Amino acid sequence: MRARLAAGLAAGTLALVTLAAGPASAADPAQLSVLHGVPGLTVDVWVNGERTLDDFTPGSLAGPLDLAAGTYTVAITAADAADASSAAIGPVDLALEAGKNYTAVAHLDAAGAPTATLFTNDVSTTPAGQGRLTVRHVAAAPGVDVLAGGTAVISNLTNPDEKVLNLPAGTVSASVTATGTTEPALLGPADVPVTEGTSTIVYAWGSATASPSTLALATQTISGLHGNPSGVNAGEVGLVSDGGAPVWPYAVAALAAAGLVALAFARRTATQRS
Amino acid sequence: MAPRTAARLCARLFVVVLVGTSTAALTGCTGQRSDPDPVVVVSSPASTRRPSPVEPPAPVPVHDAALGAQRPPVAAPAPVRLVVPDARIDMPVDAVGVQDDGQMQIPEDADRAGWYRFGPAPGDPAGTTVLAGHVDSRLSGVGQLARLREVGVGATLTVSTVDGKDHAYRVVDVQRVPKEAAPVDLWFDRTGPPRLVVVTCGGTFRRDTGHYADNVVVTAEPLGGQP
Repeated sequence: MRARLAAGLAAGTLALVTLAAGPASAADPAQLSVLHGVPGLTVDVWVNGERTLDDFTPGSLAGPLDLAAGTYTVAITAADAADASSAAIGPVDLALEAGKNYTAVAHLDAAGAPTATLFTNDVSTTPAGQGRLTVRHVAAAPGVDVLAGGTAVISNLTNPDEKVLNLPAGTVSASVTATGTTEPALLGPADVPVTEGTSTIVYAWGSATASPSTLALATQTISGLHGNPSGVNAGEVGLVSDGGAPVWPYAVAALAAAGLVALAFARRTATQRS
Repeated sequence: MAPRTAARLCARLFVVVLVGTSTAALTGCTGQRSDPDPVVVVSSPASTRRPSPVEPPAPVPVHDAALGAQRPPVAAPAPVRLVVPDARIDMPVDAVGVQDDGQMQIPEDADRAGWYRFGPAPGDPAGTTVLAGHVDSRLSGVGQLARLREVGVGATLTVSTVDGKDHAYRVVDVQRVPKEAAPVDLWFDRTGPPRLVVVTCGGTFRRDTGHYADNVVVTAEPLGGQP
């Protein structure tokens, strides 16, 4: 339920999802995004025989689309093909489950042949103060390591796999190298924002063997996944406690301690001023 | 991603129908109870135009996915000061996050309040701005928020933000709740109407845990055409 709600937030559809809320059911839409990761090829994307994306260019992300759960037949053709019969990729059947969030990626396999992969996006709640970073290898390249600040945080990621990390919110300076090496960087270093409550999905796409290399980074973000702090503990001493345990001795001691600290501060300030 | 309007979303759902899915996808549009017809839903209240089914479908949103191509949303200015004249509270506000144990971080100085920086700020169009401060601390003894419980419904609070703007709020609720029952998800809400909650501690101090048993919470709503 939480994940479903969060997914709805990501699409800015909170009100609609809330109105349709209830036990998870087949009526909950699946969300589908489509990433184009085949270099040098403008395409049309056909869903169940209908042209859904026209003149879709490499490095572009489409969606998310709310789709009823079910199986969709997706074919990718050269741009402006008359129909879906002569597909460059597919047709592939994508089975989409209610309430889940997917990204279909048209990309090259490790050997450089066009293919398509359906990834299921992790839209579970992130711990308060953290964001989620997912790295997906969809490039014509061998296994890679992902380095953050010079240290491998992901090792031997191969096409078409992914690695999911929950990290404190901030910016990660990431670079991609061949597995087991720290240089040269195939990609980066690049500053990747890890936003609190947001899933940032980074795709390494293109071809390492093309000359020049067409390797590039693409990103997709899914927001609204934040968790909340577990509570607010906003008192440490018991100086204003209501009844209950006898706190006066403790309170007097604490006051004395606070007084000494204050005195020490005052003295130091006075010393510094003089 | 900027929030889309319901009309645009429904227009896209209409596209979904065109691409051959069942009308089950339209359940998301049932919020438009005044008219269940999906084609009419496309027509927003702002427009009297009724698109016909032969009109080309709205395109699926497509954007450049290159790293950095999407500019991050501009964050609303951070709060820097909290003033509650009725309770003689006037304290600086620091941006804070989360402790390792998952609790909200609180400034060690009980005369400073913390603002939960991952949540909304006063200038945000939705959600609750959360400020919290120690009722007492080892560093500074009894804090100003010890007087929070004196604040009554109807009192005015002002939060100043770093851009120099003053945001006035009116207190609508003052509560003391046991921490186990604290409505944390309500306090840290990010999508509801703009509100301010100020949280501190109260009740009995439990020496076994080193914490007070209760939270004292003031909830306030923006005054006038805020934010």
